[in-house]
Amino acid sequence: MSAIRLDSPNRPLVPARAQLRAVSLANVRTVGRSAARQNSKLVSLLTIGALSIAFANLILHILTSGSVYELANIQQESRELNTTSQIIADEVDSLSSQQNLSNSAQKLGMIANANPVFLSIGEQKVYGKPTAALNTDGRVARNLIANSVMTVVSSGLNTAVASADAAPAAVPAGNVANPKSTSVQVISNGGVIPASPTH
Amino acid sequence: MAYLTPGDSSKRLKKIVALILVFVGVFAIRLIDLQIIQADAINAKSFEKRAVTRALPALRGEILDVNGKVLAKTILRYDINVAPSKVGPVTRKISGQTVSVPVEQVVAEISSILDMTVEDVTQKIIGTGEYAQIKKRANAAEYRKISALNIPWLYYDPVAERVYPNGAVAGNLLGFITQSGLMEGIEQAYDKCLAGVDGEESFEKGKDGIKIPSSVVTTKKAVPGKHVRLTIDSDLQYFAQQVMASTVSYLRADWGTATIIEVKTGRILAAAEAPSVDPNDPGKLSADDRRARIFQAAFEPGSTLKTITAATVVDTGLGSPNMKVVAPYGMKIPNSDGYKVTDSHIHPLEQLTMTGVLAESSNTGIMNVGKVVDWKTRYDYLEKFGLGKRTAINFPGEGSGLLNSKETWSNDGVKRYVSMFGQGISVTPIQSAMMYQAIGNQGVRLNPILVDGCEADINNFKNAEVKPGFQVISKGTSAQTLSMLERVVESGAIGKYGAIPGYRVGAKTGTAQIRDENTGKYAGPYAISYFGVAPIDNPQYVVAVTAFKSRTVGSSLGVATPFKKIMQQVLRTYRVPPSTTKTSDLPLNW
Repeated sequence: MSAIRLDSPNRPLVPARAQLRAVSLANVRTVGRSAARQNSKLVSLLTIGALSIAFANLILHILTSGSVYELANIQQESRELNTTSQIIADEVDSLSSQQNLSNSAQKLGMIANANPVFLSIGEQKVYGKPTAALNTDGRVARNLIANSVMTVVSSGLNTAVASADAAPAAVPAGNVANPKSTSVQVISNGGVIPASPTH
Repeated sequence: MAYLTPGDSSKRLKKIVALILVFVGVFAIRLIDLQIIQADAINAKSFEKRAVTRALPALRGEILDVNGKVLAKTILRYDINVAPSKVGPVTRKISGQTVSVPVEQVVAEISSILDMTVEDVTQKIIGTGEYAQIKKRANAAEYRKISALNIPWLYYDPVAERVYPNGAVAGNLLGFITQSGLMEGIEQAYDKCLAGVDGEESFEKGKDGIKIPSSVVTTKKAVPGKHVRLTIDSDLQYFAQQVMASTVSYLRADWGTATIIEVKTGRILAAAEAPSVDPNDPGKLSADDRRARIFQAAFEPGSTLKTITAATVVDTGLGSPNMKVVAPYGMKIPNSDGYKVTDSHIHPLEQLTMTGVLAESSNTGIMNVGKVVDWKTRYDYLEKFGLGKRTAINFPGEGSGLLNSKETWSNDGVKRYVSMFGQGISVTPIQSAMMYQAIGNQGVRLNPILVDGCEADINNFKNAEVKPGFQVISKGTSAQTLSMLERVVESGAIGKYGAIPGYRVGAKTGTAQIRDENTGKYAGPYAISYFGVAPIDNPQYVVAVTAFKSRTVGSSLGVATPFKKIMQQVLRTYRVPPSTTKTSDLPLNW
């Protein structure tokens, strides 16, 4: 770094002129140009470097800004999907609530059989006396239990649709809920599962 | 640089570079000052201006039934708010054309979606203020529809709200949470488990409300609450509530309860109440009717306690189901200033066995049975059956019933006698049901179980541990008592209405007079009960039904059929095969 070094205090002070010696003008010009070129290179390098950093920063900023807006959009979409999910969950909750199921069962004329009969495969036995479900005390009661958050009910349920799967085509749909002869007792073979004639 | 300007161009350049370096140095110093020395202060100042801190509410855990059905959960509702000062026509694009929709039409659309009248909505949006609320807690479907209208002067606040998808099913047990934070029932008892820990988010935002890139974001994650699983089967609970709602209505009773207990574990499968509260809207019922009476209401049980008196006599070896007793219509209690006890109906002197006394539900008969055991022993047995103490569930507000102290008994000759048929002491419905659980469980009284546990992952739930019980009566006494109860169902005038075809059922009826607090006298309307165990050959379930102050039916007949319906449903639900053994043939008379 001799170019910017100051005089050393130990160096004897000698008149500057005494050091002058003849040099060719061409050499002076060459040295001056070379230093100037080096300095301008340095300035250019600094400027370009600074500009590059600023530009890179700008690009980075634009990119991250874009990502943030994209993120905001995705978050909004996520919120929308959550809302949709909640709407569907509310509907499922309402439709699967005991209140709705009970009302639907009643609408379909369903009758609970109070006399369950069990088949024991291991013992090949029938437990219980099979009797037809009674329309009197077995009929599913209308709902009496409050539920203020039911948003939907099975309003589309109708006998024709329900019976299409349950009853043979020849049976009129409207007859499905009609009471059958309630006193008929199903015949059981002495508590033993009837053996198949094919074995 | 040998042209135009004199001097050394190299030196000049050096000067320029030095100057630039000085400038750079100055800026660098300033930069260090701003970025390092004053950085914290500037950041704090800037953060204050642009920082937004918002709480991240923790979702409260769910309450589930034993099969995982959700009985309580937290969802988002939406407060629909308006800035009245900004109300005006709404611009919409219809078929590519920009159309201005007048306020009246917008109001009509809002009122239609929110199920409000046009007048109501109009009233709320008129004004010069910046805030008015149109509807609180709109559901997600309403929010979706109304936000799709793109009304610039409406804004929405999402609010977490507790909902109970099955309404009043187990409502009295679940309890509720009000907006002011008041809690009852399981919500209160398990609040520590259900409540999560709120998080916090701090960030800087720009004018558009969006987070500034690379701004500091401090987030404390919200920790959601854990879930609670009950032993309740919600389908069975619904069935029992349906039966009780219908029963209480028919009897014009004050209230009714039905408790279903699994004999071998003490698990409560259903705890049905009528009236039953819909926790989504608890204000519809009085505070009294919102209670879980099964745990909180104590009343004099009446004749259902005769079973305990009989079991005590058998267990002490001082009597047997065939013990011969005379039962007059009326009988004076010794040393009681002529206090007379009578049976419910006039009858001549009867020669009953202990079994017959239970089948006939004779007050005089049970006094003659019970008097063979000294009162201190009987008192001890009542304590061993769990009377006078809260159950291990420790339900919020649970009652202990009233057994009174031994000192009270020693000074009260009447109490020593009337307690034999369930007067002078009070029990809660859960205590009553657990007495019968002990009889059904070979004499071992278990702690009732209502909650299986508290878990973060619903897949981790296991049935709560059944702790070793307390042997109240011997196995033999338990079997003999069950045989006597079976005869009540077979031959009792009212007991037979609880019989279930195909199953061996044992039960005891109770028609308890209620003491008038003003006069101190006992009178109707009655607290009627029917407590039973089935199947007798392998006791698995206890069903205890009570209706308090029945006005249309003055005997336990009013709850015999409800008992039968509920027990039938229990046996069907749990696939209990019909009985194959023969019934006991204990004599009723001698």
